[in-house]
Amino acid sequence: MDLQPILAGMGGMPAPSTKTNPMADAAQGFADVLREAEMQAEAALTTGADPHALVTAMAEGKMAIETVVSIRDRVVEAYQEILRMPV
Amino acid sequence: MNDLSNAINVLSSGMRSQGRRLVHIAENISNADTPGYRRKTVDFQAMVDGGRRSGAVEVGPVRLDRSDLPRIHDPDHPMADEGGYYDGSNVQLVVELADAREAQRSYEANLKMFEQVRRMSSQLMDVLRR
Repeated sequence: MDLQPILAGMGGMPAPSTKTNPMADAAQGFADVLREAEMQAEAALTTGADPHALVTAMAEGKMAIETVVSIRDRVVEAYQEILRMPV
Repeated sequence: MNDLSNAINVLSSGMRSQGRRLVHIAENISNADTPGYRRKTVDFQAMVDGGRRSGAVEVGPVRLDRSDLPRIHDPDHPMADEGGYYDGSNVQLVVELADAREAQRSYEANLKMFEQVRRMSSQLMDVLRR
Protein backbone atom coordinates (compact mmCIF):
# COMPACT_ATOMS: atom_id res chain seq x y z
CA MET A 1 0.00 0.00 0.00
CA ASP A 2 1.55 3.25 -1.09
CA LEU A 3 -0.13 6.27 0.42
CA GLN A 4 2.76 8.53 -0.34
CA PRO A 5 1.32 10.19 -3.47
CA ILE A 6 -2.00 10.70 -1.70
CA LEU A 7 -0.33 12.30 1.30
CA ALA A 8 1.88 14.41 -0.89
CA GLY A 9 -1.14 15.54 -2.88
CA MET A 10 -3.08 16.20 0.31
CA GLY A 11 -0.68 18.86 1.40
CA GLY A 12 -0.85 20.50 -2.00
CA MET A 13 2.80 19.66 -2.41
CA PRO A 14 4.47 18.44 -5.57
CA ALA A 15 5.37 14.75 -5.87
CA PRO A 16 8.04 13.79 -3.31
CA SER A 17 10.98 14.24 -5.61
CA THR A 18 12.42 16.93 -3.36
CA LYS A 19 14.11 15.23 -0.43
CA THR A 20 13.96 18.33 1.75
CA ASN A 21 10.15 18.34 1.80
CA PRO A 22 9.17 17.53 5.41
CA MET A 23 5.71 16.34 4.35
CA ALA A 24 7.24 13.93 1.87
CA ASP A 25 9.71 12.72 4.51
CA ALA A 26 6.88 12.07 6.96
CA ALA A 27 4.95 10.20 4.28
CA GLN A 28 8.06 8.21 3.45
CA GLY A 29 8.50 7.28 7.11
CA PHE A 30 4.88 6.22 7.30
CA ALA A 31 5.22 4.09 4.18
CA ASP A 32 8.35 2.48 5.63
CA VAL A 33 6.55 1.59 8.86
CA LEU A 34 3.71 0.00 6.91
CA ARG A 35 6.09 -1.88 4.64
CA GLU A 36 7.94 -3.24 7.67
CA ALA A 37 4.63 -4.40 9.19
CA GLU A 38 3.66 -6.11 5.96
CA MET A 39 7.05 -7.80 5.65
CA GLN A 40 6.90 -9.06 9.22
CA ALA A 41 3.36 -10.36 8.76
CA GLU A 42 4.40 -12.20 5.65
CA ALA A 43 7.51 -13.64 7.30
CA ALA A 44 5.54 -14.74 10.36
CA LEU A 45 2.93 -16.50 8.25
CA THR A 46 5.26 -18.15 5.74
CA THR A 47 8.49 -18.89 7.62
CA GLY A 48 7.29 -18.80 11.23
CA ALA A 49 9.50 -15.84 12.15
CA ASP A 50 9.61 -14.28 15.61
CA PRO A 51 6.03 -13.37 16.63
CA HIS A 52 7.33 -10.57 18.86
CA ALA A 53 8.73 -8.78 15.84
CA LEU A 54 5.35 -9.21 14.13
CA VAL A 55 3.43 -7.78 17.08
CA THR A 56 5.87 -4.88 17.38
CA ALA A 57 5.65 -4.06 13.70
CA MET A 58 1.86 -4.31 13.70
CA ALA A 59 1.56 -2.09 16.78
CA GLU A 60 3.82 0.50 15.19
CA GLY A 61 1.83 0.26 11.98
CA LYS A 62 -1.40 0.77 13.87
CA MET A 63 0.03 3.80 15.67
CA ALA A 64 1.21 5.26 12.38
CA ILE A 65 -2.13 4.65 10.67
CA GLU A 66 -4.04 6.22 13.54
CA THR A 67 -1.82 9.29 13.33
CA VAL A 68 -2.18 9.63 9.58
CA VAL A 69 -5.94 9.01 9.62
CA SER A 70 -6.41 11.64 12.33
CA ILE A 71 -4.41 14.17 10.36
CA ARG A 72 -6.27 13.31 7.15
CA ASP A 73 -9.64 13.74 8.89
CA ARG A 74 -8.53 17.10 10.18
CA VAL A 75 -7.41 18.22 6.76
CA VAL A 76 -10.64 17.11 5.09
CA GLU A 77 -12.64 18.79 7.82
CA ALA A 78 -10.79 22.04 7.29
CA TYR A 79 -11.34 21.79 3.56
CA GLN A 80 -15.07 21.31 4.04
CA GLU A 81 -15.18 24.28 6.39
CA ILE A 82 -13.71 26.40 3.63
CA LEU A 83 -16.22 25.02 1.08
CA ARG A 84 -19.12 25.93 3.35
CA MET A 85 -17.89 29.47 3.71
CA PRO A 86 -20.44 31.92 2.24
CA VAL A 87 -18.84 33.96 -0.48
CA MET B 1 11.35 7.24 15.92
CA ASN B 2 9.36 8.67 18.75
CA ASP B 3 9.43 7.66 22.41
CA LEU B 4 6.31 5.52 22.26
CA SER B 5 7.61 3.34 19.49
CA ASN B 6 10.99 3.10 21.25
CA ALA B 7 9.10 1.87 24.31
CA ILE B 8 7.39 -0.75 22.17
CA ASN B 9 10.75 -1.96 20.87
CA VAL B 10 12.22 -2.19 24.37
CA LEU B 11 9.18 -4.09 25.67
CA SER B 12 9.32 -6.43 22.73
CA SER B 13 12.98 -7.20 23.53
CA GLY B 14 11.95 -7.95 27.11
CA MET B 15 9.29 -10.39 25.95
CA ARG B 16 11.69 -12.03 23.52
CA SER B 17 14.25 -12.49 26.30
CA GLN B 18 11.70 -14.04 28.62
CA GLY B 19 10.75 -16.40 25.82
CA ARG B 20 14.38 -17.38 25.38
CA ARG B 21 14.65 -17.98 29.11
CA LEU B 22 11.59 -20.20 28.96
CA VAL B 23 13.24 -22.29 26.23
CA HIS B 24 16.12 -23.14 28.58
CA ILE B 25 13.75 -23.88 31.44
CA ALA B 26 11.87 -26.24 29.12
CA GLU B 27 15.15 -27.93 28.18
CA ASN B 28 15.98 -28.37 31.86
CA ILE B 29 12.60 -29.86 32.70
CA SER B 30 12.70 -32.18 29.69
CA ASN B 31 16.15 -33.41 30.71
CA ALA B 32 15.42 -33.73 34.41
CA ASP B 33 15.98 -37.49 34.19
CA THR B 34 18.87 -37.41 31.72
CA PRO B 35 22.01 -38.87 33.33
CA GLY B 36 24.87 -36.39 33.51
CA TYR B 37 22.75 -33.40 32.38
CA ARG B 38 23.69 -30.06 33.89
CA ARG B 39 21.01 -27.43 34.27
CA LYS B 40 21.27 -24.48 31.89
CA THR B 41 20.81 -20.90 33.02
CA VAL B 42 20.92 -17.61 31.13
CA ASP B 43 21.68 -14.12 32.40
CA PHE B 44 19.99 -10.99 31.12
CA GLN B 45 22.13 -8.10 29.97
CA ALA B 46 21.54 -4.64 28.59
CA MET B 47 21.65 -4.61 24.81
CA VAL B 48 24.46 -2.49 23.38
CA ASP B 49 23.72 -0.82 20.06
CA GLY B 50 26.61 0.98 18.39
CA GLY B 51 28.60 1.25 21.64
CA ARG B 52 25.65 2.69 23.56
CA ARG B 53 23.08 0.96 25.69
CA SER B 54 19.83 1.07 23.78
CA GLY B 55 17.68 0.34 26.83
CA ALA B 56 16.61 -3.00 25.43
CA VAL B 57 17.48 -6.31 27.05
CA GLU B 58 18.89 -9.52 25.64
CA VAL B 59 19.95 -12.85 27.07
CA GLY B 60 23.63 -13.53 27.54
CA PRO B 61 25.45 -16.78 26.77
CA VAL B 62 24.13 -20.02 28.24
CA ARG B 63 25.84 -21.09 31.47
CA LEU B 64 25.84 -24.57 32.92
CA ASP B 65 25.11 -25.13 36.58
CA ARG B 66 28.41 -26.41 38.02
CA SER B 67 26.93 -27.89 41.18
CA ASP B 68 27.58 -31.57 41.90
CA LEU B 69 25.51 -34.14 40.07
CA PRO B 70 23.57 -36.41 42.41
CA ARG B 71 24.77 -40.01 42.66
CA ILE B 72 21.82 -42.27 42.01
CA HIS B 73 21.85 -45.89 43.12
CA ASP B 74 20.45 -48.19 40.44
CA PRO B 75 22.54 -51.30 39.69
CA ASP B 76 20.33 -52.20 36.72
CA HIS B 77 21.04 -48.93 34.92
CA PRO B 78 23.29 -49.38 31.85
CA MET B 79 25.50 -46.46 32.94
CA ALA B 80 25.92 -47.66 36.52
CA ASP B 81 29.49 -48.17 37.76
CA GLU B 82 30.80 -51.06 39.89
CA GLY B 83 29.11 -49.70 43.01
CA GLY B 84 25.76 -49.51 41.22
CA TYR B 85 25.74 -45.69 41.07
CA TYR B 86 25.42 -43.31 38.13
CA ASP B 87 25.39 -39.52 37.79
CA GLY B 88 21.91 -38.05 37.61
CA SER B 89 21.07 -34.50 36.48
CA ASN B 90 21.25 -31.53 38.82
CA VAL B 91 17.87 -30.19 37.67
CA GLN B 92 15.46 -29.51 40.50
CA LEU B 93 11.93 -29.43 39.21
CA VAL B 94 10.70 -27.07 41.92
CA VAL B 95 13.38 -24.52 41.05
CA GLU B 96 12.58 -24.81 37.34
CA LEU B 97 8.86 -24.38 37.94
CA ALA B 98 9.51 -21.31 40.07
CA ASP B 99 11.75 -19.93 37.32
CA ALA B 100 9.10 -20.60 34.71
CA ARG B 101 6.48 -18.83 36.79
CA GLU B 102 8.81 -15.87 37.23
CA ALA B 103 9.40 -15.72 33.48
CA GLN B 104 5.63 -15.76 32.95
CA ARG B 105 5.08 -12.92 35.40
CA SER B 106 7.82 -10.82 33.82
CA TYR B 107 6.34 -11.51 30.40
CA GLU B 108 2.95 -10.38 31.63
CA ALA B 109 4.49 -7.20 33.07
CA ASN B 110 6.01 -6.41 29.68
CA LEU B 111 2.72 -7.17 27.97
CA LYS B 112 0.80 -4.87 30.32
CA MET B 113 3.23 -2.06 29.58
CA PHE B 114 2.84 -2.81 25.87
CA GLU B 115 -0.92 -2.39 26.20
CA GLN B 116 -0.42 0.80 28.14
CA VAL B 117 1.84 2.32 25.51
CA ARG B 118 -0.70 1.48 22.82
CA ARG B 119 -3.52 2.97 24.83
CA MET B 120 -1.52 6.15 25.47
CA SER B 121 -0.77 6.48 21.79
CA SER B 122 -4.40 6.11 20.72
CA GLN B 123 -5.54 8.48 23.48
CA LEU B 124 -3.15 11.06 22.12
CA MET B 125 -4.67 10.64 18.67
CA ASP B 126 -8.18 10.92 20.14
CA VAL B 127 -7.29 14.46 21.18
CA LEU B 128 -6.73 15.29 17.52
CA ARG B 129 -10.10 13.85 16.53
CA ARG B 130 -12.13 16.10 18.82
